Amino acid sequence: MAMIRLENLSKHYKVLNRSEGLSGALKDLFSRDYRIVKAVSDLSLEVNAGEIVGFVGPNGAGKSTTIKMMTGVLKPTSGLLTVNGRIPTKNRAQNMQEIGVVFGQRTQLWWDLPVIESFKILRQIYRVDQSSYNENMNIFEELIDLKALYSTPVRYLSLGQRMLCDIVASFLHNPKVIFLDEPTIGLDISIKSRIREVIKTLNEHKQTTIILTTHDLSDIEALCKRIVIIDKGTTVYDGSIQKVSSMFGAHRTLKIQLPPAEYLALDQLATSVNGHFSQASAITMEQSEEGWIHFTINQDEVHLMDVLNYIGHHYPVHDIKIEEISIDKIVKNIYEGGLA
Amino acid sequence: MKTPLYYLRIYLSIVTQYIKAKLQYRTDFFISTIGMIFTNIAGIFPVWIIFHNIPSLHGLSFNEMLFIYCFSLLALSPLQLFFDNIWSIWSHLLSGTFIKYYLKPMNVMFYYMSEVFDLKGLSQVAIGIGGLIYASNQLDVQWTLLNIVLLIVSLIGASLIMISLMILAASTGFWIMDPWNVISLVNRFRDFAKYPVSIFNDFFKFIFTFIIPIGCIAFYPSQLFLNPLQDNEMIVFFSPLIGIVLFIIANAVWNKGINSYSGTGS
Repeated sequence: MAMIRLENLSKHYKVLNRSEGLSGALKDLFSRDYRIVKAVSDLSLEVNAGEIVGFVGPNGAGKSTTIKMMTGVLKPTSGLLTVNGRIPTKNRAQNMQEIGVVFGQRTQLWWDLPVIESFKILRQIYRVDQSSYNENMNIFEELIDLKALYSTPVRYLSLGQRMLCDIVASFLHNPKVIFLDEPTIGLDISIKSRIREVIKTLNEHKQTTIILTTHDLSDIEALCKRIVIIDKGTTVYDGSIQKVSSMFGAHRTLKIQLPPAEYLALDQLATSVNGHFSQASAITMEQSEEGWIHFTINQDEVHLMDVLNYIGHHYPVHDIKIEEISIDKIVKNIYEGGLA
Repeated sequence: MKTPLYYLRIYLSIVTQYIKAKLQYRTDFFISTIGMIFTNIAGIFPVWIIFHNIPSLHGLSFNEMLFIYCFSLLALSPLQLFFDNIWSIWSHLLSGTFIKYYLKPMNVMFYYMSEVFDLKGLSQVAIGIGGLIYASNQLDVQWTLLNIVLLIVSLIGASLIMISLMILAASTGFWIMDPWNVISLVNRFRDFAKYPVSIFNDFFKFIFTFIIPIGCIAFYPSQLFLNPLQDNEMIVFFSPLIGIVLFIIANAVWNKGINSYSGTGS
């Protein structure tokens, strides 16, 4: 059964075309010169009950707008949207009873109140009966050692603790669907993995459908079988995470900085690396600011260490960084036919 | 459909917890309460000085002025106590945190306003009741059962007027993002509530009666008790109704606003 269904969903905003300078600002006061921004256009998606779907895309891709429409905060411009068989913006309050939402850095607990009081108030708001409340609190207790935090006001919790509390709190009323918007943003590795564990356990236990947005691909790899990548308001990939991982899992970005005196050598470095390694398609290069140069390397074909060794041998490297491939790069690769 | 009882229960549990939390900052509580008491007493002071020099103003005695003033304090208390979060709405709108209030199976206005209960407003209630008792003793106002019911009804109606005006002011924020200036401007109106509308000229009398019905907050309803035997203008009886009608309008505008507000980017 489709728990969430989006059919040709669009959201367009009217935005004023701004003029420059002070006189422009004055002119804008009376201007009717609007342009239409298509935050989401013709997005179609179906999510089955119990699925965890990773919903990713570069900044401004339309993720937040889509989430806001699915939670009933924003009204779509056109298209069909049902969540749990309902139109989210119609009868909003009733709809909220059956979904849960966690927005990254904004807590929905009561800032000044002890953690346990927030849970008690949530119990009243969602009219959770005593036995399900007790049952859920016991599960949460096992998962995150909640009792130790009971009497602490929310504002004294660390970001990670608060996130854990927010996430379990969103499960308190046994919702059918939960939207987790950037739940791991700004957190360190150890707390991230706890958060993933908690989400995974609760999803398995309660069969809750979960939509997860994140900038961190490892969140998705740990939690989802399916990933939906969107860009410019529309789907660019919808399929298994394995395919994305096997395509890009071996990709690493090697960032090299040369000292200022060598800035002129950047172009030369690029051509010389290209010339040295025969599998040119495995390495893409991009120049960045302050003498940084980024090599995205497919390690199935060329070893990053070989590239690093080669560069280190020929150029006075100032600094290096090695990173996993970012969502933005993946999207770029998809456009270039990477997953075709 | 959620019953008023549902909301009352939630409100009580939030507010009890909120008060408990606030009382932990004792110094802050005492200082703000003392500040509030001074503000309200200072409001009577100019009136007292005027009456020290002249026996009556436009046919009103000091005690009648005190009655109207304290009536206005009481009528403005619910705004102070339950709707003080209006003052923070600009930051929620600008930062986008406001959308959190859409995400519970509750009325958005209720959820938003329930987050702040302004404790120091209780001192305003105390001064209002004290002053009203003193003035009515001096004026020989008879507190029959009918009069007490009438007082409560007209206070509720009157309080809804300023609440509605402030909600309307706050609602502009859904379109203009930062409603601070509009809210401050409308808030100024409450200063006029404590003066008898009869002292203004016809132009302002008209404005404060029909356009921005500030006169209906304290002056007109007070006449019910100050001049019970006189032929009062019909407006005296209508003011509670005006409050209710205004609140219905304000609520509708607010709801339209929350539908058109879309929050910030992420």
